[in-house]
Amino acid sequence: MTMLKIENLHAEIDGKPILKGLTLEVNAGEVHAIMGPNGAGKSTLGYVLGGRPGYEVTEGSVTFDGVDLLELEPNERAAAGLFLGFQYPVEIPGVSNVQFLRESLNAQRGQRDEKPLSGGEFLKLARAQADGLGLNQDMLKRPVNVGFSGGEKKRNEMVQMGILNPKFAILDETDSGLDIDALRIVGDGINRIMRAPDKAVLLITHYQRLLDYVQPDRVHVLADGRIVRSGGPELALELEREGYAGVEEAAA
Amino acid sequence: MTTTLELPSTREEAWRWADIDALRRAAESERAVPVAGADRFLDLPGARLLFVDGVLDESASILGTVQLTQIDASDHPLGRQALGRGWSLRLDRDAVAEPVQIVHVASGAANHLPAEIVLAEDAAAQVYETYVGRGWTNRLTRVKLAASARLMRAVRLLQDDGFVSLREEAELGEGASLTATFLAAGTMGARIDGGITQIGDGAYAEFGGALLTKGELKQECAVALRHAALNGQSHQLWRAVAADRSQASLAARVEVARDAQKTDGEQSLRGLLLQRTATVNLKPELEIFADDVKCAHGATVGELDAKALFYMQSRGIPKPRAQALLTRAFVADAIDRIGNEVVREAFAADADAWLEAAL
Repeated sequence: MTMLKIENLHAEIDGKPILKGLTLEVNAGEVHAIMGPNGAGKSTLGYVLGGRPGYEVTEGSVTFDGVDLLELEPNERAAAGLFLGFQYPVEIPGVSNVQFLRESLNAQRGQRDEKPLSGGEFLKLARAQADGLGLNQDMLKRPVNVGFSGGEKKRNEMVQMGILNPKFAILDETDSGLDIDALRIVGDGINRIMRAPDKAVLLITHYQRLLDYVQPDRVHVLADGRIVRSGGPELALELEREGYAGVEEAAA
Repeated sequence: MTTTLELPSTREEAWRWADIDALRRAAESERAVPVAGADRFLDLPGARLLFVDGVLDESASILGTVQLTQIDASDHPLGRQALGRGWSLRLDRDAVAEPVQIVHVASGAANHLPAEIVLAEDAAAQVYETYVGRGWTNRLTRVKLAASARLMRAVRLLQDDGFVSLREEAELGEGASLTATFLAAGTMGARIDGGITQIGDGAYAEFGGALLTKGELKQECAVALRHAALNGQSHQLWRAVAADRSQASLAARVEVARDAQKTDGEQSLRGLLLQRTATVNLKPELEIFADDVKCAHGATVGELDAKALFYMQSRGIPKPRAQALLTRAFVADAIDRIGNEVVREAFAADADAWLEAAL
């Protein structure tokens, strides 16, 4: 079943076209990887799907579970089951992780007409997820991402994903800033939280290394705002070996 | 009042952001039936004083150790108008008083009241004040802390209308500690005017708070904190949130006298504009005559962080709620300084209610 369907998507920032006719389909139960050189539009794709202000869609469509995604506010997209893992998670001084996540989860539940979780229920869930990703319990009480190392921020993203339990995750360079051990922990986390017949993942990455832990079903190469090649997991290995030079020529 | 109101001119630098017109309008307003005040007392033990238009309502008050007495005058342009009898908290050496709560209800026109808090060596007190109602409310509070005395003080301005002007004068002896937090979360004009002097070595002073303005209101703080002895420490942390076409101004000065070596003074003034039509003025001033001191200062004005807003929305939090959470976090820097939990929570709830209405 098609979960995410992107057709001929064009998007621009400050009048500068970044996505130039991107088409992509992701089925439930699949993990897709998007690779590509710097400036190809990988992060822009993530932000457009998340609904970040300033990213203007000029043409094309995005359907998520049969719903027009582009019509929804960012928080409505989250409530619909979309999760955006940030390349650079944002620091929020004065708002604790626990408060932030409980507000987030209960806001999503409210938008889905589900009962809010009590403080106790929520803490139990949060602790289990933090343990699963080797994030110190104390960090749940600290302000969101403030004073966290790069790796801790990325792990915190995965803790959030575990708590929010989305249907579809777009993970933007979740592997950057991680050492080998953290990479394995995060990879295991993605598999544990998102490997299910009714879920799907879009992994945006520069490198093959995360794909050693999270095996993709499909690999796409994004260059100059379009998908220029698609293939199986072997494509990632080929890119790792030969670089993007060939695909950039293909895009030109 | 039969005499013409003598007020400072905004042409003077120290009064340039003062909303003297609003003060005058408040002073000339008609008296109305006073709003309730007794329900503003927090669930704390100790003395409770209810003043209506500057007059003690004895039936609703428990004086405890507080007395009514003649208070020394000030030469401050507004403070000197609060003359005569006022409330006085005097504690002997080593005495520790239960919290003192004071609620001031104003019903219109002008009302003035002086006060003093005089703590002997090693005495400790907590004084919490709430202002409600309308009209011009003018207060002078003189604080004198002997060696190692400690005063915790928190004041919230919640009038629906009119103007509240506070003049706070404090003298801190050796090792004395003053922590004072002010919150303006009503819909009145306000001026919080402070003159704090550390005359003893090793004194500690925190003097700060939050001003929340909306509509066409103008509020300001104007504080001078003087280090006149060795090893003093001070923190002035002020936050201003301005919505609509309002104006919040923070003027804070640190003065370090020639002999006040090893002073550690910190000043943090930050403003948040909820709309671009609002104004925040910041005026940090450092005047340092000693050569071995540390004075950190920061002054910034900005809008809510767009990246943080989107991050929160992307997790499912609707935009107005995300704005409220971020604004609350901004104000919390100041309110979290209040040591008494009951008081801190009450002040946080007042700020929340204000944000709820403004966003």
